[in-house]
Order: sequence, then structure tokens, then C-alpha cells
Amino acid sequence: MIQLEKVSKRFEGKRVVTALDSVDLSITKGEMVSLVGASGSGKSTMLNLIGGLDTPSSGQITIDGERLSGLADDDLTRVRRDKIGFIFQFFNLLPTLTCVENVSLPLHLRGWSRKKAEARSRELLDLVKLGHRMEHQPDELSGGERQRVAIARALSINPPILLGDEPTGNLDSTTGAEILSLIHDVHRTMGSTILIVTHDRGVAESCQRTIRLKDGKIIGDERRSTAA
Amino acid sequence: MTLLRLISFQYVRKHKLRWLLTLAGIVLGVAVFVGMHTANQSVLRAFHQTIDRIAGTTQLQVSAGEAGFPEEALETVQNSPDIRVAVPVIEASVNPGRGNLLLLGVDMTGDRSLRDYDLENNNDDAIDDPLVFLAQPDSLLVTRIFANAYGLKIGDKLPMATMAGPRDFVVRGIMQSGGLASAFGGNLAVMDIYAAQKLLGRGRRFDRIDIAVREGVRVEDAQANLQKLLGTGYLVESPGARGQQFESTAQIYSLVSSITSMFALFVGMFLIYNTFEIAVSQRRSEIGILRALGATRSQIRTLFLGESVVAGLVGSVLGIAFGLLLARGIAAYVGTMLSEVYGVAQNVEDVAAEPWLLAAALFVGTLTSVLAALIPARDASRVDPVKALQKGKLQLIGQGENMRRRIGAIVLFALALGCMSMSYIRPLFYLGYLLAIMAAVLFAPTACNWVTRTLRPLMKWLRPVEGALAADSLIESPRRTSGTVTALMLSLALVIALGGVARSSYKSIQDWLVIALSPDLFVTTNESLTSRSFVFPPEIGDGIATIPGIDLVQMVRTVRINVRNTPVMLVCTDIASVARKIHLPPREGDPDTMYQEAAKGKGVIVSDNFALLRKYKLGDIIELPAPDGPLRMPILGIVIDYSDQQGSILLDRELYIKHWKDTTVNVFRVYLQNPTFEPSVRAKIQEMYGGRTRLFVFTNQDLRAYILKLTDQWFGLTYVQIAVAVLVAILGIVNTLTVSISDRKRELGVLQAVGGLRNQIRGTIWMEALAIGFTGLVLGLVVGAIQLYYTLEISRTDVAGLRLDYQYPINIAAVLLPVILGAAWISALGPAESAVRGSLVEALEYE
Amino acid sequence: MNSKWLIALLTSAYALAQDPRQIMEEVQKRAQSKSQQYEGTLEVVDAKSKVSTKRWEYSRLGAFGNSKSVLRFTAPAEVKGVALLVHNHPDRSSDQWMWRPAIERDQRIALQDRSTRFFGTDFSYEDLEERDVNQFDFKLLGEETIDGKPCWKLESRPREKKVSQYTYSHLWIRKDNYVYTQIEAFNKAGLARRIKYTDIQNIQNIWTARTIEVFDATKKSRTTLKFEKLQYNVPLDDSGFTLQALRRSS
Repeated sequence: MIQLEKVSKRFEGKRVVTALDSVDLSITKGEMVSLVGASGSGKSTMLNLIGGLDTPSSGQITIDGERLSGLADDDLTRVRRDKIGFIFQFFNLLPTLTCVENVSLPLHLRGWSRKKAEARSRELLDLVKLGHRMEHQPDELSGGERQRVAIARALSINPPILLGDEPTGNLDSTTGAEILSLIHDVHRTMGSTILIVTHDRGVAESCQRTIRLKDGKIIGDERRSTAA
Repeated sequence: MTLLRLISFQYVRKHKLRWLLTLAGIVLGVAVFVGMHTANQSVLRAFHQTIDRIAGTTQLQVSAGEAGFPEEALETVQNSPDIRVAVPVIEASVNPGRGNLLLLGVDMTGDRSLRDYDLENNNDDAIDDPLVFLAQPDSLLVTRIFANAYGLKIGDKLPMATMAGPRDFVVRGIMQSGGLASAFGGNLAVMDIYAAQKLLGRGRRFDRIDIAVREGVRVEDAQANLQKLLGTGYLVESPGARGQQFESTAQIYSLVSSITSMFALFVGMFLIYNTFEIAVSQRRSEIGILRALGATRSQIRTLFLGESVVAGLVGSVLGIAFGLLLARGIAAYVGTMLSEVYGVAQNVEDVAAEPWLLAAALFVGTLTSVLAALIPARDASRVDPVKALQKGKLQLIGQGENMRRRIGAIVLFALALGCMSMSYIRPLFYLGYLLAIMAAVLFAPTACNWVTRTLRPLMKWLRPVEGALAADSLIESPRRTSGTVTALMLSLALVIALGGVARSSYKSIQDWLVIALSPDLFVTTNESLTSRSFVFPPEIGDGIATIPGIDLVQMVRTVRINVRNTPVMLVCTDIASVARKIHLPPREGDPDTMYQEAAKGKGVIVSDNFALLRKYKLGDIIELPAPDGPLRMPILGIVIDYSDQQGSILLDRELYIKHWKDTTVNVFRVYLQNPTFEPSVRAKIQEMYGGRTRLFVFTNQDLRAYILKLTDQWFGLTYVQIAVAVLVAILGIVNTLTVSISDRKRELGVLQAVGGLRNQIRGTIWMEALAIGFTGLVLGLVVGAIQLYYTLEISRTDVAGLRLDYQYPINIAAVLLPVILGAAWISALGPAESAVRGSLVEALEYE
Repeated sequence: MNSKWLIALLTSAYALAQDPRQIMEEVQKRAQSKSQQYEGTLEVVDAKSKVSTKRWEYSRLGAFGNSKSVLRFTAPAEVKGVALLVHNHPDRSSDQWMWRPAIERDQRIALQDRSTRFFGTDFSYEDLEERDVNQFDFKLLGEETIDGKPCWKLESRPREKKVSQYTYSHLWIRKDNYVYTQIEAFNKAGLARRIKYTDIQNIQNIWTARTIEVFDATKKSRTTLKFEKLQYNVPLDDSGFTLQALRRSS
């Protein structure tokens, strides 16, 4: 499902920083993987590259059979739009839109009709147990509720891949646990391939597979059969 | 100062483009201010210089209005015991196909004691032979400047159409540069005065007598004695006094310039305000750090005010430079207009501002900048250091402030209405005007908010994501947009007002043309209908009348006279004859009897604009300054007549001849028995007089086209205004969008992360720009309605005396809609591209 | 232009006396005549040796101080027909009119203009005026020989009432016939003009210089005036000395 071959990412500034150093990685369909490492180990960079938010300096990334390198900006966006859902640490909801509008954003961008998009959004908000918050704006919600809206938004296009960048990082532990279980639910019911960047040992260990990064290199790849 | 260098300079360096755009706001305002006033000053200075240089050592001048006076007055003056030298002068602006030339007719025998002709080689023989110069009426003395410009040497010929037929003038002397020879920009020629009389058709009349008083006689005494000797029909004054009269007319244009430049500065102020608001919001965290490090509120305020002073100074200097460039064009325009009104030729040679004007411009520009920065600086000083250092939402305008503004706007508007009801007191009228504009400005953010809220559903319906987000961006950041919208509003209001005036006056003039210009042919001495340098003897009119096919010839003599210290047009013709053909729409008085009585010489008929501007009513007595003493005439009627911008007075020709002793004619108005005779009559006139005198025949159509062309220049001015409005729109919108995309970086990043394509991102920026443009347009069209009311009032009462109907210029508004939206879209192109180009990762990570 | 200059210049014959004032009175007395006619030629040679020539006809009627005269240019073609009419009055200044055929205009010459230069010649109007004995104070400086003729050398200074551009002048009067032979006029800067009278002949009992030469010391230019067909006491009609007459004859 996700394939990285000799992927490197260098940031050219006043001095060159190598964030990822010739990384090979393969994640199969339906896997739920956590990505851990210290700050600056290159885990966020890897996530951004996989999500098509950034392009590698060298190497090849393949997503669901589609090679990302060489794609034009808009084509990259299309891959992202069709195959990837994002969950951010700071939720990244648009403050002026209601929950329904936020969730239907990707659908509108794909050109869905107003009616269809709204119906789908409501359905998803029900799914994340926010049926009572449909017309509220993000700043009227708690942190956990906001992240649920963000998850609903990520799911709206029914993507085969979900990418989470510290999805619980900005939440207290109880709420974090709730969100984590929601993600597990999604994994179970929809069979999505999920990749989560996290600092949280608990979150990492709840995944089937944990990849450890240090200084831009993979230093550990551990699989476990238990699911939380 | 250290803060300024450390902090501000870095910021400015990072946002060069935005600061340039902001400076453009000041540059624009200051440029208009400097341009218009410099032009006015330069014209006045040129006028004074021309008078001074021509006057030489003249101490007193005798004149009797534009029609001049009979020669006999010269002997009377020369015989006065106070007078050392008195020499006659005729001044005329002619066009020998080499640009405008000021022709000075003098008596070469005596004139040299007043004027130094500075002939080359310091040698009288430069006039090849003084006797030949006098014996040959075609003799001309030109300046070195003029000779060089057209490659003329002594003995060369200069052909010119004269009232004695076409003549080849011969250059018989060249004056060295400086003094007299530099008057009128050196475009000066001297000839013998008696020859000039003949060639200009002036008869035995002079325009002026230049005088030097005898040694030991006080100039004031000589002036009083001469005035007594000549009677009240003559004006005895110092050369400098002539300029003062001119200044009073120039003041009107000064008023117009002041209003325009005030508007320009106002517009500039909002562009600056906008930029500072934006800067404060963008640099909130920087301010927070400074505050955390111990900077006081007043230090923060001083920092921003300091920036505004620097911006104001730099912008003003640039504005002054541009203004001086602009002044050249304006000066030419104002100069032509004023020399037409005064009949005093002048040539604006050096357009230069006086130091105090430059100082004033620098001050006003900087003050504007500081005023614009006051509120942003205060906001900056109120930034909470703790909140500023946290990432999160922007601080919005407090509700209280909005409410205060709204209340202020309502109070000001009420006051403006009060002033309007007392607008007969002029200062109150202008105060009301100012208050109304201020009210509009205060209310603009609220109105802007209303309009964008109303727009949101429409925009969302059009594009659910892009539209809604664009509208929200405007609604959520009123500070970002309201400055731009206000600037655009003011500038568009001016367009609407000017367009409205142009439209109404165009229509009024067209209506008037249909009535007033009924003759089939017009025979004049000049291609330019306004020049009165050459005049016909009446005999030509009698001759034309004998041509078969002609029904009627009306002789018209138009001269400028001074009434209540302003120059108005005296139109002298056979009123009985005119009344048979034309009845100008009456404003006051009985339309039947007014012509009958006026034809009998029992009074005059005046134009409505004259009555309005000079505050005359029906039945009032006007004192007309005739050379044989003031002629007191009652006003028998007030009619609508646009013959002259300063107002016109219709007087019967016989009365004019009797009191002015002047039988000359400017225009023959010719009625044909049948319009089909036109070509043959025209040919016959040319055949009879073409070779013998200077004469131009215009058809009714020619004349109508000519007048409408003049009127069209108004429209030209409207287009210039539209261009300025477009510039303002682009400046403001680019500025706002630049900040908007930086504020919305994260939002736009999210949009792209969740699948927004480049065009969708562009779309939202474009829509934001269009919404700003549209909002400014809506506000501008509304405020334009108010501005139009005041402009019409000013033009009616203080400038032109034109009673124009209030007609909203729908056509201009219709043009503005696509133009401004187009400009908005163009302004969005650049920012939109930079929005799609940035790094997504950065956008999502950073505030 | 003043007619007195014509009398002074063109009709010079003077009587004998030793007292400077008597000498000058005699000069004036001997120049008297009832009328006069001549054709004049004027030649101006400027510092660059450029020569310009003009010709005119002159006639005068009436005695000294109460005469009328007409001067009419005959050449060159550009100035032909330009005329000057002068009416002298014993009790006040003369009236002068210029007539210009090209614009068919007569023009009064104002009094104020008579101190200026005369049409590009080296004469000023003042040089051409009659030097009436009563307007000057004279001093006999001595005797000198000019052109082989013994002369008195006198100094003349204008009296207070006489407005002059000169501070004083030196005059040379021939002892034999009381005729001017030379005048040097000085202003504050020094010598301004030198006027030489030559070709002196007895015409109808009046000793008359037929050639007068003026040298302008500042401009270094020279003007020569020659008289031809000179006659005194010719019969002339008063009607020829009016503006109407000027108009008719052009």
C-alpha cells in the first residue's frame, strides 16, 4: 500500500540538513503503524512525504500503486484527495465553518453536490458521536470534539490511507484515549491503512507495528499481534 | 530611534513590496496636492513675470477694459504735468503657425525710456534701420529665444494672416535674452503700434498707456491726478495691481484643487491606515516579545508612529517629485483657461513650486501618514504580551469600538444635515460637506461588514468552499479590508460626482446649443473662437449682408469687462434682431418684454450663471465700466446662457458703440434664406474678403462640434479620475490580499492538504478580491450620490454658476462595475500565485 | 524731430565780435532767411564700415522761430514717402507729425521723445536742435586754426533751464564769416560726439556748410550729411505745410 525506496529528504538552508537518509519502507494494506522517534528524527518529514505534502529529494514513493515522484502539483493533490485522510495535532479545522461544513470541505473540493456532501457529513459526524454538534463552529467545541470533527473530515472521502500527526498530542490523556479508540474503530470497521506519528508510548504500542526513527534512519521495526 | 532601526527596518526590508504600495498612497495624495498647487502658482508667477517684464520701468498703467480706448487719451495723459513719459501699448496673442506669440505693439520712438529692448551687439543698428522699421508695417522685432527656436535671422519672413490680409512679416531686429525678451517664455515680438492697430483691426485705439512719472512726483499723487483727469471709465493702476485681479479668479481653481487634493490625501490616508493595521496584526508576536522584554506601551506606540513619520517623509518626497511632473500638464491647462478669461497672454515657462508649498506638502504628507497610523499604533500598544506570544486567533475589533464609530457617524451625519439646511452660509456649507464625508468614512467599516455578510450566501452558493472562505476572510478581518474599501469608496465617490457633473453639464449645454446657436454661418477673425486679438470693422458685415441668399447678419462684439472685480463677458449685438431668431430660456423676467426693453437700450439681460456667481437679482442695477464713465443698467431678465464660464451680459450694440466708441466686431452671425445656400454663400464670403482680411467661416455644425469638444474635456477628466480609482483599487486590494494570504496561510494549507486544487485556491483569493472590489464599489456608488450633491452645489454657487439637474451618472456606474471588478481580479493574480506556491508543510506547521 | 536743428545746422553764417556772447549772437543773425529748400544725402558708416544711405527733400517756410517745414524721404525705396512735418512756435515747443504712407497714418511725435537718437544716425535729436544763444553761457577759450582757417574756440554750458545730455561743449567759429567749423560735445564720461562743418560756401549771401560729419566717440560710427540744390528765400505756399498736404502727396 505504501512503498518507500531509498527516500531521502534534505533541507537546503545555510547548512544542509538531512531529515531522511535513504529510507526503505513498505506498509501493506490494512496495517496500522505507529512512527516514533525523538524530535528531529525525521518522522514528521516521512509522514509529509507519504501524504504528498512534500516531495523527496531523492528516492521513490508509491501510494496504492501510484508513484508520487514526477507528479505535477495538482496531480499530487488528486492522489491526496482520493487516497489519503489527514488527522493533525492542532486539528486544522477552519474556524469560520460549522462542523458539517468542515467535514464536507473535501467533498465540495471534489465537486460533490451540496446535498450529497451534507448528507455524507452528517452521517460521519453521527459516526464520531457528534450528531448534536452539527451546526457548531470549532471554537465552541472541546479539544476532543474538534479532533473527532477532524477525523470525520479525514474519513469523508473514504480514503484507503489515514495519516495522523500526533492526533492525541494536544489532548489530555482521557480524551486522547477516546480518540485512539475511535481510530482503532475506524481501522477495524473500514480496514484502512493507518500511519500515526506519535510521542506517546501507549499510542505507539496499541499499533500492530511500530517503526522507530533516529537521525533520518529506521533503527527499529517491531510487529506485535496484539491490538488494543 | 534604535528600535526603529533594529525592528522596523528589518520588517520593511522583508515586506518591500507592501511598503512601496503603501508609500504609493502618500505619493498619490502629495503628488495631486503639489501638482495642482504648483501649477496654479506657476501660472500666476508666469503671469506676474510677463506683466513685470513687459512693464519694464513702467510705474503706472492706464487701461479701460479689453475693448481699449480711443487714442486721444494718450495726449491727455502726456500733457499731464506729472508725467515724464507716457507710451501707448497694444498687446495681442497671435499664432503665426509657430506657437503662441505675444505681440507687443509699441511706439518705438519713445518706448525705449521704459523698456530696454537689449538689442544684440548692444547696438541700435541691430534694428537694421530704424527708419525702415517704422516705414514698413511688416517690421518685427523678435527675441533670440524665438529666433533660435525657429531658425530665424534678420531679414527672414514670418507669414501671418492679418486684418489687412495675409502678410509676410520681416524680422528686422533680434532682442537679446533676459528682461523684456524673456517675457512670455521668450515667445514675444515687438512691432510698431500703429502698424499693429491696422493689422489687428483695432482702429485708432490703444489697449494701454504705460507711464513713468516726472522726477519728484509721488506715484500715488500722479495716479490720483490722472484718475481724476481721465474719469472713472479708465483704470489707473500700478503694473502689479493687474496681477492681483487675476489672482482672484485663480482662487476659484485653487478651491477646486484643494478639494481634489484633500480627497487624494484622504484616499492615501486609508491606504496607509490599512498597511499599518496589517503590520500591527502581523507583528503581534514581535510586539509581544518587545513588551515581554520590558518595552512600555508608549515605546511601542512611538515605534509605530516613528515608522509612520519615516513612511510619510519618504512618500512625501516621492510625491513632490511626481507632483512637479504632474504640474507641467496641469499648468498648461490652467494657463490656457486663465489667459482666455483674462485676455492676457502668458506662457508658463518654469513650473516650480515655492519652498513653502514643498514644506507644506512634506508636512501634510507626513501628517496624513501619522494620522493614519494613530489607531494602529494605539492598537499595537495595547497588545497583550501573553496572548501575543500564544499561537491562536487574532484579536478582533472590539464591539464597543464599532458601536462608537457607528454613533459617531450618525452624529456627524446629523450635523452635516444641519449644515446643509444653512448652506447659504458658505463656511457652514463646506463644513457640512466635510462632515458628510467624515460620517461616510466612519460608517464605512460597518457598511463594509453588512455588504460582505449579505454577499456570503451568494458567494457560498456560487462556490461552497472558496466562496464561503473568501467571504469569511473579509468578515473576520474587518481591519484588513475596511481601509482598502474606504479608500476605494472615496475615490469612486469622486468619479461618480465628476461624472455626474459632466453628464448634467453636457446635457444642459447641448440643450442650450440647439436654442442659442441658430445661425447658419459664423464669420470670425480666428480659428480659436475664444481669441479676441483680431477684430473686424463693421463694414465687412455690411458687405456680407449684400450677398444674395443671406437673410440676416448680426454683428456681435464680445469684450471682457470687470464687474464686481471679476471679469465677465459683455456681449454686444442688435438685440431686436437677435430676439427675432432666439429666445433663450428665461430664468427670471418676462421673456417678451425683456428683449424689447433691452433692444431700446433700457437695460441688460444677464446669464443665469452671472446672476448666481455675482449674486445679482432681477431689477438690480449693474454698473458697466465704460470708458466715458460707469454705465448703470437695470437687469431686465435672467436667461440660461452658457456663452461664458464667468457669466455674460447682453447689451444692445448701439449703446456699446455710444459709450465705448468702438464699432468693431468679433463675430458675424449669418442667417441664410435657405440652408441649401450655404456652400455658395460661404464661397462668396471667401471670395469677397478671403484675400483682403483675416477671416474664418464656420458652419453651425462646425461650431457645435467645437463647443462639444470643449465640453468633452470634462469627460476626459472623469476618465483620469477612473484611472486613479483603478490605481487605488489595485494598490489597496493587492495590499490587503498580500496580508490576507499570509494570515490565511494555514487555512489555505489545510484546504490543499484535504484536496484543494491550485485553481480552487486561486479561486478563493480571486473571490476575496472581487468581494473587496464589489464592496468598495457599492459604498462608493452610495457616497458618490452624496458627493455629487455637494459638487453640483459648489459648481453652482462658487465655481461656474451652472444650475445643473441632479442626475446620477448611471452610465459611469455601469462602466465602473466591470472596470473595478476587473481591477480587483487583476490585483488578485499576483497574491493568488504566491498563495499556491508556498510550502504546504510550513503552512500547516506555522501560525 | 525738431525743425530748429535744421536751421542751426543748415543755415550757418555768422558775424564778428570779440565778446563770446556777441560772437554767438552774430552767428545766429547771419544765418537768417525767409525760406529754404534742399535735397539731402545722409550716409552712416558704422564701426564695421557698413554704409547706409538715405535721401530726402527738405523745404522750410517762415523766419527763425516761427517756421514750418517738411522733410520727406526719397530713398531708399523702403522708406520712400515717410515724411516729417514741423510747426515751430515762438512761445512754445514745436508740433511734429510723422507720416507713414504704408499704413496711411500720421502720428504725433511727443515732446518726451526728443532726446533720443534720430533714426539710426549718429545725431541725437538734441544735436539737431537749434542752439539758441539764450539757453547757454559762453566762455572764450582762445583761438585755433581749423582746416587752415583761424577760429575762436568757445566753451558753452547749458543754463539751468536747458535740459541737456551734455555737460559742456567746445565750439569753433570761423573768424572771417561767423560759421561753425567744429563742435565737440562732452558728457560725464568725456567726449561724446564731434561734429565737423566743411565745404562751407556762400549761398545767396549766407555762409553755409554743405557737408556735416558727426563722429560718435563711443560707438566709433560716423554720419555724413550732404546738402544739394540748396536755395534760400524760395517762394513757397503755406498750404504745402499741413497734414492734408502730406496725405495728398503720398
